[in-house]
Amino acid sequence: MRFITLILRNLLRRRTRTLLTATGLAVAIASVLDLVGIASNFERSFLTIFAGKGIDLLVVRAGISNQLSSNLDQKLSDKLRGTEGVAQVAATLMDTVGFEEAGIASALINGWESGSLLFRGLRMLEGRAFERGEKNVAMLGRVLALNLGKKVGDKLDVAGEPFRVIGIYESDSLFDSGALVVPLATLQRMMGREGQVTGFVIQGRSSDSDAIATLRNRIEAETPGVAATPGRDYVQRDVQMRLARVMAWATTALALLLGSVGMLNTMIMAVFERTGEIGILRALGWRRLRVLELILGEALVLGLLGAALGMMLAVLGLRAVLLAPTARGFIDPHLPPAVLLLGLVLGVLLSVLGGLYPAIRAASLDPGEALRYE
Amino acid sequence: MNEPAVGLAPLLRAERLAKIYPDGNVQALRGVSLEVAERESVAIVGPSGCGKSTLLHILGGLDRPTEGEVYFRDEPLSRIDRDLYRARQVGFVFQSFHLLPTLSAVENVQVPMFESSWGHRARAQRASRLIDEVGLSHRRDHLPTRLSVGERQRVAIARALANDPCLLLADEPTGNLDSVTQGEIMALLDDLSRRNGLTLVLITHSQEVAAAADRVIRMRDGRILGD
Repeated sequence: MRFITLILRNLLRRRTRTLLTATGLAVAIASVLDLVGIASNFERSFLTIFAGKGIDLLVVRAGISNQLSSNLDQKLSDKLRGTEGVAQVAATLMDTVGFEEAGIASALINGWESGSLLFRGLRMLEGRAFERGEKNVAMLGRVLALNLGKKVGDKLDVAGEPFRVIGIYESDSLFDSGALVVPLATLQRMMGREGQVTGFVIQGRSSDSDAIATLRNRIEAETPGVAATPGRDYVQRDVQMRLARVMAWATTALALLLGSVGMLNTMIMAVFERTGEIGILRALGWRRLRVLELILGEALVLGLLGAALGMMLAVLGLRAVLLAPTARGFIDPHLPPAVLLLGLVLGVLLSVLGGLYPAIRAASLDPGEALRYE
Repeated sequence: MNEPAVGLAPLLRAERLAKIYPDGNVQALRGVSLEVAERESVAIVGPSGCGKSTLLHILGGLDRPTEGEVYFRDEPLSRIDRDLYRARQVGFVFQSFHLLPTLSAVENVQVPMFESSWGHRARAQRASRLIDEVGLSHRRDHLPTRLSVGERQRVAIARALANDPCLLLADEPTGNLDSVTQGEIMALLDDLSRRNGLTLVLITHSQEVAAAADRVIRMRDGRILGD
């Protein structure tokens, strides 16, 4: 008989309790994995926008926390284009619009110039991109088109303005897929922001990190009042991304607390109920360390079982969320391996947090006293 | 029983043992001194609550005396690793058998062996042999609940021998058995002690069991009345 056999037999002795505890742990772990997974996918999706389009720097008004609240003169475009080390510049105006009839409270609307580098990474599924001089035409991301039920040629009301859908595109980024793109001038007029943009994206002549850092310093020195930020830094500093991360980690802390209390309760009950039995093991010569290993081993197996169930539940949970049409396309249903690994780490952590005190208590039982308890 | 070793240092020596339980302020032992020779069998008799079990627990390193000292081969127990002493030198047999309910007979015998250096195959082989020795080959894979009380005590005896101890301590090993089974268990203990050269200290209420021992120690009110 191996030591693990003894551990498993003890857990199987109280199947219902073992299953209930593992299920409790699984629910806690699954909620953490789903939230961390969604936050991580959001971040990855955001980063894909920059990477997919070959954007090295994002230029916005200095001091703003969200690109939507940035406001810069479109004429800065020429100055930036003339800066040493800059290969390409594209202006962008971003805002949000709602489509109440489709139950979409907020969708991203991008105003771009035709032929802009921002069109990179978009694959046309239907129709075409707009051309210079066109007005009130819209290209819809695949997910938005799906949710709006629109196809090329359909009319679309955007913030009270009539638009015609001329193209539907696909993107590796969920942000782009859930957005719409209209001509920059049209959006500026609609929003009463003629001559203004929220920012510029820049592709440097070299993507080398030192060259980008130099370019960044040069832009900020030559153009007071703007901040030039590399894509990764921008995503990490974005207030919504930070909020998503904080929520995910706060849930993790809460789940750890609740999960470890559940584990503690189960293991302390097991130790109380088996005081006499632990006395017998000690009478038979078992060292304190061996008893500690037994109880911690039981907690560890419970934690790993909870982690395995939690990982399955997390995957199924995300798929269930995607059954809601409003979530479809905004949530990436794939949990990255690193996030799934977090489930395993949580399982082990919960085992140690919840199992250590009962294990120490069991190991410190005096054999004579424990036998009298029997 | 065995032929006691004459002229050698005693296996066990207890000097002026006193035990006061702090919870009930009960004085279980009052200055008990005794010696047990190698391969000797000693029966301790006396009314309930006279301190027999307390004495056995102290001799087996399960409990510590409030005063006095136990010497094992002239080494004071207070100075040796009592876990190791219990694991390597002592085998315990209890009145209520105390088998682990989730393990089969042969697996129960392996439990003390986790403190030995044997691998799991060696543990299984030794446990199997011990189960054969106590005559339970046909019941080796049965859970304790599927065994008769006599069979459970046989498993407990096999388990006590798991780590090849030199001292067997039995706390009323026949207390829960009918007279026929009692005779069988005592015959088994006697046979195993003789064949393995064990020293046996047992507590009993049975005059018949006590009479079969080399020595009988009578106790009352925490004291030895006669040896």
